[in-house]
Amino acid sequence: MPDWVKWTAPAAAVVSMASSAHAVQYLSIPEAQKLAFPSATQFVEAQPGRVWKAQAGGQVVGLFVFDRVIGKHLYIDYAVALDPGGRVRRVDILQYRESYGGEVRGPSWLGQFVGKTSASPLSVGNDIRNISGATLSSHHVTEGVKKILGLYGHGVR
Amino acid sequence: MASVSIHRARPLLGTFVEMTAIGPEQSGLDAAADAAFAAIAKVHRLMSFHDPASDVSRLNRTAATRPVRVDAWTWNVIAAAMDLNRRSSGAFDVTVAPLLQAAGLLPRTAAGRAGDATPAPGQAIEMRANHRIRFRRPQTSIDLGGIAKGFAVDRAIEALRAREVTAALVNAGGDLAAFGPSAWSVQMRDPRDPRETIGAVEISNEALASTGGRFDPFDSPLVARTAVFDPRAHAPAIAVAGATVRAPSAMMADALTKVVMIDGEAAAGLLAHFAASALMVRRDGEIRVTPSWQADRAA
Repeated sequence: MPDWVKWTAPAAAVVSMASSAHAVQYLSIPEAQKLAFPSATQFVEAQPGRVWKAQAGGQVVGLFVFDRVIGKHLYIDYAVALDPGGRVRRVDILQYRESYGGEVRGPSWLGQFVGKTSASPLSVGNDIRNISGATLSSHHVTEGVKKILGLYGHGVR
Repeated sequence: MASVSIHRARPLLGTFVEMTAIGPEQSGLDAAADAAFAAIAKVHRLMSFHDPASDVSRLNRTAATRPVRVDAWTWNVIAAAMDLNRRSSGAFDVTVAPLLQAAGLLPRTAAGRAGDATPAPGQAIEMRANHRIRFRRPQTSIDLGGIAKGFAVDRAIEALRAREVTAALVNAGGDLAAFGPSAWSVQMRDPRDPRETIGAVEISNEALASTGGRFDPFDSPLVARTAVFDPRAHAPAIAVAGATVRAPSAMMADALTKVVMIDGEAAAGLLAHFAASALMVRRDGEIRVTPSWQADRAA
């Protein structure tokens, strides 16, 4: 049986998470609207900044609802797309924010992530998000979707 | 070659499933991401312990009475789980988690009664032809929480590979897999303090999964089972604080983290069998790796 060996993290690789809040923007509201309802020609605001009716040629093809819930500590922005029958078509996370109490110990923590792959075609500036062991609960989003279904799940015309 | 990238996240599998995909054009990437999320949603639907319509719930309700036909995906995951149970001498056991739940996460209550030993899945579960499964004992019930999340990541990767995607990474709450021409850098969270990381590892056309021994009551019940239970000792695994496994598939990486949590260094042979390597953080703070671990490359 192969033996295990003691491992010491390279000093430069040992970093804490940023002490400030950290946000990941996945989609803007217009981007998410377009992805959820590709056939829609316009989105008519039914509740300012919160609910839109997706329309295609005068027909309502669905409802787009923006909401935010508290994640671990900070807000998670998400959107629920409902079909005209009030069923959930998709749920997208638009923006995820998190905060950590740790301090930055590494000399250049951003350099650890972005610099490492900046020359590669994979460099999209998101490497920091690839964290293993970060089981984040989506419980509050699930509750939020239920709430939205309670409000709008009866269908739209 | 010009390429674009997309970055998406959806709430699935009781966590946030995050996807980065790179390819020649935007609409192809959007379609690929939709297909990958659909594959994950299908795994969620089939293997959720809580959804009464899932294959897992149907098995738990009915399989002791008569054989239940399940989706090929569910069948494959259960077959893999049973194989791993045998190879790990019972350390990995999909029939034990419900005991934990029934006991309200107080395992000693369930295990304390004399003669209440859980039969090995090999004896309790009968795999029949045509994806039908029967339980031999009425008290048998399964929970695929320790393996299905990794399987879902593999299916998402498969969906992306089949489309106009050059490179991608799928991360389901810490169980992740990636493909593409270059390596992806992944930070490993410190199981003793989730605000810290213990170092980076580069993965390339492979998978990585981590498990910590913490039980976080603020998390949803779906993901709270980070407390790994040793089915043979009838007690939570306590020797190891956290484990990270890299393996060819996310399903095996996911499942093998549990074996490392329970068996510690004794898991080395099993890891080698599955072409996997591991990093473990022991309770005494020492970090140990299998010889094939290559985390230092990232430095």
